[in-house]
Amino acid sequence: MTSRHGQPPVRVVDASMTLLNEVYRRPLDPGYAEAAARRTAGGSVTRRAPRVVTLLLLAAVLGLAIAAATLALRQPPTAAIAARQLLEKQIQQRTDDVAATQARITRLSGQIQTLQGDALGSTATELARSVQSESVAAGTVAVTGPGLRVVLSDAPATDPETQDPDARVQDIDLQVLVNGLWAAGAEAIAINGQRLTATSAIRSAGDAVLVDMVALSSPYTVDAVGNAGRLQANLARTAAGQHIATLRTTYGIGVDTSSQRHLELPGSGQVVLQYATALGPAATPTAAARRGAGASDASDVASSAGRTGGDGT
Amino acid sequence: MIAVIGLVVGVLAGLWLQPTVPVELQPYLPIAVVAALDALFGGLRAMLDGIFDDRVFLTSFLSNVVVAALIVFLGDQLGVGTQLSTAVVVVLGIRIFSNAASIRRHLFKA
Repeated sequence: MTSRHGQPPVRVVDASMTLLNEVYRRPLDPGYAEAAARRTAGGSVTRRAPRVVTLLLLAAVLGLAIAAATLALRQPPTAAIAARQLLEKQIQQRTDDVAATQARITRLSGQIQTLQGDALGSTATELARSVQSESVAAGTVAVTGPGLRVVLSDAPATDPETQDPDARVQDIDLQVLVNGLWAAGAEAIAINGQRLTATSAIRSAGDAVLVDMVALSSPYTVDAVGNAGRLQANLARTAAGQHIATLRTTYGIGVDTSSQRHLELPGSGQVVLQYATALGPAATPTAAARRGAGASDASDVASSAGRTGGDGT
Repeated sequence: MIAVIGLVVGVLAGLWLQPTVPVELQPYLPIAVVAALDALFGGLRAMLDGIFDDRVFLTSFLSNVVVAALIVFLGDQLGVGTQLSTAVVVVLGIRIFSNAASIRRHLFKA
């Protein structure tokens, strides 16, 4: 139709881009140009007082609103940080409480030990000695002696957030190592100062490894009292040795084994039994038999650790 | 000039009083602030161009903020709030950029 009335309309090359052009070429509000044109044309140059006041008020209100909006937008992070700090403080406080209670337990256990010794010492040395060795096996008293120290540490990572969980030391690794050490003849074991007892469990909760409900983090120092040379040799021969070698070669987990002349393992304090009661003296095995059962004691720890570990993960 | 003085007074009052924004308005704040920035850059450019006008500046400021918030509100109601917010930010962002470029040319002659 248009072509019949003379000139056809010139098609703009970028006709499909009008929206973008409109935004890009004319970013300034056309109102400014119009107002300027009006002024040059000789419009109302003089301003009436009420209008000035209105403008001032409007500007002030807008400024206030924008300031309030900006402040409100900046607020959430600080609130989150405050909440985080509060939680961190609570965690710290509870951890300190636990440590204090643990120290008190250890102190009281020591007293119990001395009192037991006093009560038995004069009358029955044989009984006293059996109590002594059994509390070592049970892990309730602090012990000292030569042994083997194995330090497991997470593979070095640039960003802990994105690190492959396999490259971190997991509960199963510690379980295998501890089982291996018991089997190799360890008499007492502690992980990062947490003494393992017959009721100990090694399991993971999130990123942390829990030993007896205490969260530990890398590096994990596993101290085992025993003949260091024999422990090391026996450990290397078991499946645990294989497992640790795999950890080192495949996942880059740091394994540092050293024999120590002097290890000090803390006691776990008194083990509180809620359901189990000891049978009468007739059923109690002799001290020697019990000593022989040390290995089965160890496998008890291992199996309980394995079971709870499976639940935890 | 009056508008600028009023705006400065308002911002100072806001910083001093620290008023709290109602929770219902919170989702519209980011877009409103971007729209206000656009109006501010437009006003600055007009000032350098020598065609600044208090009334136009305040009107564009107010309408920018209101329309931006309204678009987000509408988008939220229609279920395309995020997309519309993006659209508004893109358009206003381009305008802020080209106005800033123009201001730069005015100030540094380059």
